Amino acid sequence: MAETLSSFDKHMTAVAFAEAGEHETAKKVLETKSAPAPLKAQHHAKKPVLATLVFGALSLSAYFYLFSHEEWTTDHFTRGGWYTVLPLASAVFFSFIHGAFGSNLLSVLGLEAKK
Amino acid sequence: MKRLLVILLGVLLIMPLATSAFGAGGDGPPKDIMKGIFTSVDAANRTAAFIKEGNTGAMTLTLGADMNVDAVVLDKKVMVSLDSHAGEGVLKDISVMFMDMTAGKVIALIVVGLIGGLLSGFIGSGGAFVLTPAMMSLGVPGAVAVASNMCHKFPKAMVGTYKRFKYGQVDLKLAAVMSATAIVGVQIGIKIQKFILNSWGNAGSNLYVSVIFVLVLVLVGFYVMLDAIKLAKGDTNAEAKTGKLALRMQKIQLPPMIHFKVAKVTISAWVTVPVGLATGMLAATIAVGGFVGVPGMIYVIGASAVVASATELGIAFVMGAWGSFQWGLSGLIDIRLTLLILSASLIGVQLGALGTTYVKDYMIKLVMASVMLVVAVSRGAKIPGYLADLGWRAQLDAGPAALLESVSFWALVAALAIAGVITSVAMAVGMMKDKQQKRMEAAVSHG
Repeated sequence: MAETLSSFDKHMTAVAFAEAGEHETAKKVLETKSAPAPLKAQHHAKKPVLATLVFGALSLSAYFYLFSHEEWTTDHFTRGGWYTVLPLASAVFFSFIHGAFGSNLLSVLGLEAKK
Repeated sequence: MKRLLVILLGVLLIMPLATSAFGAGGDGPPKDIMKGIFTSVDAANRTAAFIKEGNTGAMTLTLGADMNVDAVVLDKKVMVSLDSHAGEGVLKDISVMFMDMTAGKVIALIVVGLIGGLLSGFIGSGGAFVLTPAMMSLGVPGAVAVASNMCHKFPKAMVGTYKRFKYGQVDLKLAAVMSATAIVGVQIGIKIQKFILNSWGNAGSNLYVSVIFVLVLVLVGFYVMLDAIKLAKGDTNAEAKTGKLALRMQKIQLPPMIHFKVAKVTISAWVTVPVGLATGMLAATIAVGGFVGVPGMIYVIGASAVVASATELGIAFVMGAWGSFQWGLSGLIDIRLTLLILSASLIGVQLGALGTTYVKDYMIKLVMASVMLVVAVSRGAKIPGYLADLGWRAQLDAGPAALLESVSFWALVAALAIAGVITSVAMAVGMMKDKQQKRMEAAVSHG
């Protein structure tokens, strides 16, 4: 888990640099090794398959729920006033859950930066 | 610190004045533009029952002579324009605020999100200059496209700010001072957008967003193209020349003078005001504030590129959150668009970031400039149609109208193709070469 979170942290940091055009720094960040897993966890597979599946399931469920109530969502999320909290909170929630899924998916697929 | 508080207090006091200056008549729609829902249509009499937003009773509106009965969409939030010259309650235009999501549109939004994210991670820009026009090309009204895009961007900016703060690159004081004026800029920008939307409907809003896009994309696109050519030739003189403006600005001794520790700059707070205002106004108009904010901090204030881009993320988060809040209050964020784009852009941006490690720097800027200029063509081709919708020019003949529509659509597809195909191919080629090289090195070391 520690290695999974460290990998996520590394990827999101690199994205932050790359989005601002700091490609060299993004490259250096991706080249640094993730924090080593505790000794007892080292015998597990290094690719974060479980984390990918968990975050993927969470993300998919959230998307499915929102879109299966599309009419209610569009109506309530565009009412203004106090309802403004709904779209803003949703954007933050989906960003974290889906961002974690995306980062772990790339690790599982073996898409890494040039070393 | 005391001076900073005085500045922030001053800005907070100015904000209500700025908002009320634009507030009169800007919040509620004039009688010729209305938001509401059609509940029924009488095809024989060419009338429709309309419940205006905020009212409970229905009014009867008559379809204009040029309008088709099929244009009346029932039970969906719409914005209608009335033709006051034709009589009382005569419809001129109906625009659906939140479009129906077909399977094709869902797929298109996911693809657009993926390519927007790829671009964002690859070229270091928000990708919004592709996302907003792409949404508009799918039929999303301009204001809804900007609002939904802003809502998708601010959580990413929040994460990015935190990450770069940990690296000691974010100048919090500079971010705070710029954010104060940027918020005012966002407020002014949104008021202008709402005023245009309420006065001229979706056509007016689309025209405004498109004109600003064309101006900004052409200017910045050509600048980046020249920069890419200089990079390819190895010319490093550009930075030395532009530093002179910042040095001159820093010599202006107009109190309060503020020292920005991380940026290593001491400058009058008044110099930061126009940069912050312009950043906020652009963000509110096209959901991309960085085109002004980052160069402004580098060339006007004198911060380094690293600090400017990191600090801009903090400003982008504040502006994005504030702007999204304002758009949300007006009920213009289509969360379906936001989340569909987010679903792919969060993956695309990480792919794009990886991709930069496999290509040369000037290639990145070349892709950015090419995409910007092609998107400018796509938006520019829509302008004559928007002018005709507003009655500011003669209606286009069917032939030229169809041609311009095609040019706009295919130019956008070309821009997305340039972004997607070139970056993917460059990454794939780079990855293959890297693997080959590693195999050769392994063979040599074992041999």
